[in-house]
Amino acid sequence: MKLKSATKLPALLTCVEARPLTDLAEIELSGCYISDLLSDVLANAQPGMLWVTIHTHRNVVSVASMKDITAVLFTCGRKPEPAIVTEAAEKGIMLLSTPLTTYETAGKLWKAGLR
Amino acid sequence: MTQGVPVEKKKAAARVEPNANGHKRFKSLHARLTGAMRKPTDTPERSLPTSTPTEPAAPVSTVENAPNAAEKRQVSFAQVLVYELRVRDAMTSPPITATATDTLRSIQHLMKAHRVSGVPILANDVLVGIVSIEDIINALDEGHINDPVEQWMSRKIVTLRDHFSLVRAVAEFDRHGYGRFPVLDANNRLVGVITRGDITVCLMHQLERRAEEVVAKEAALVATRAADEKAHRIVINTDVKSGDFESAGKLSQRIREVLRARGIAPEILRRAAIIAYEAETNIIIHSLGGRITTAIDAIKVRIRAVDRGPGIENVDLAMQEGWSTAGPLARELGFGAGMGLPNMKRCADEFTIQSELGGGTRLQAAVFLQKAEARL
Repeated sequence: MKLKSATKLPALLTCVEARPLTDLAEIELSGCYISDLLSDVLANAQPGMLWVTIHTHRNVVSVASMKDITAVLFTCGRKPEPAIVTEAAEKGIMLLSTPLTTYETAGKLWKAGLR
Repeated sequence: MTQGVPVEKKKAAARVEPNANGHKRFKSLHARLTGAMRKPTDTPERSLPTSTPTEPAAPVSTVENAPNAAEKRQVSFAQVLVYELRVRDAMTSPPITATATDTLRSIQHLMKAHRVSGVPILANDVLVGIVSIEDIINALDEGHINDPVEQWMSRKIVTLRDHFSLVRAVAEFDRHGYGRFPVLDANNRLVGVITRGDITVCLMHQLERRAEEVVAKEAALVATRAADEKAHRIVINTDVKSGDFESAGKLSQRIREVLRARGIAPEILRRAAIIAYEAETNIIIHSLGGRITTAIDAIKVRIRAVDRGPGIENVDLAMQEGWSTAGPLARELGFGAGMGLPNMKRCADEFTIQSELGGGTRLQAAVFLQKAEARL
């Protein structure tokens, strides 16, 4: 799941039909981590990564902030409450949402070169 | 002829420093000096030598010369300098000299070449006289400019010793009205010439140097204070309520802010933040509530989490990755991975946990801030 190489964020929008929930900066991602277990992300994600999850709880923002995650992509069309989006923006974490499932998302991101 | 006349003074001032009113400033400084230092045992006038040519004045010891501590507090910094500095610190050395058999004409050329307005005359390396620019003007006027200098030089010379304080030199200038003094060392050798301008320049340089020292000292003080501030211990007490998932992350956020402000490397502060977060969420998910005490100093972050129970049945099992007793709500939120305690242990440089069923759980972890290596 831990992937090398880097890809710029806005380009990923199209391949997974993601919609930005916060302002997006053009930024290199250092890789991607997919997990719905917060402690797992705390243990294994790396700074600068994209984190793909179905969780939209505000603890996602806390964990992302703690690990210096660049962006969080919510799958299955999930979106956090506006207050959580605001909190993420304040902490400099970009949020996106895709209608695709986590599996489909992972496949398309991999194909797009995010490794 | 005298050693100093107004013409010379002006020229001397123009030579050594651009400050045209240097003399005037010095006068007022001197007035303050003599006022401040007047006391029975140390009156400059009293210790002055008589104007006996080449007769060395009785040396004035440093102790006598320096103001006592109480006076030092009252006098200005410039005044302190005038006491501390010696004639040898300000004089022009080596001096421009001529020999007794030189003509006045050659001395005129010497003065022009070196831009000096007075020249000590030596015979066999012994000071025998002095010629001022006024002597040269008179020689031109009266037509004896080509005579040997020994016929016209002033033989009545007041000298200063190189170890005299500048305050004494200033007093001598005021007393005699000369533009310069030849300076002798302890062996009666001519080692320099001093003018009022020399004293002013010397004081200026000293003041500048001391000012720089003060600035450097202040900068060092600021740095020390910053270091003290850095070492300053912060203790954060956080009460954690059972089931309060909304509050999770606030403590670790605070810890990160404090450590970031102290310039701690991201890898290190991240470890401390993760421990705090896992401790928080453990209390929220598993306990009846508790308290986390975080102490941050220059050496380490110490996180102590104590809850009110119900305690862990098997601590060894709890420390295994993947083992969790988290309820459905916690799991729904992404907790209960069974990774919390192992995560904490991995992030910590020191880690202890004690728990008993029916009692509570006490957990303590430390992250050393100095260590550079990253664990996560």
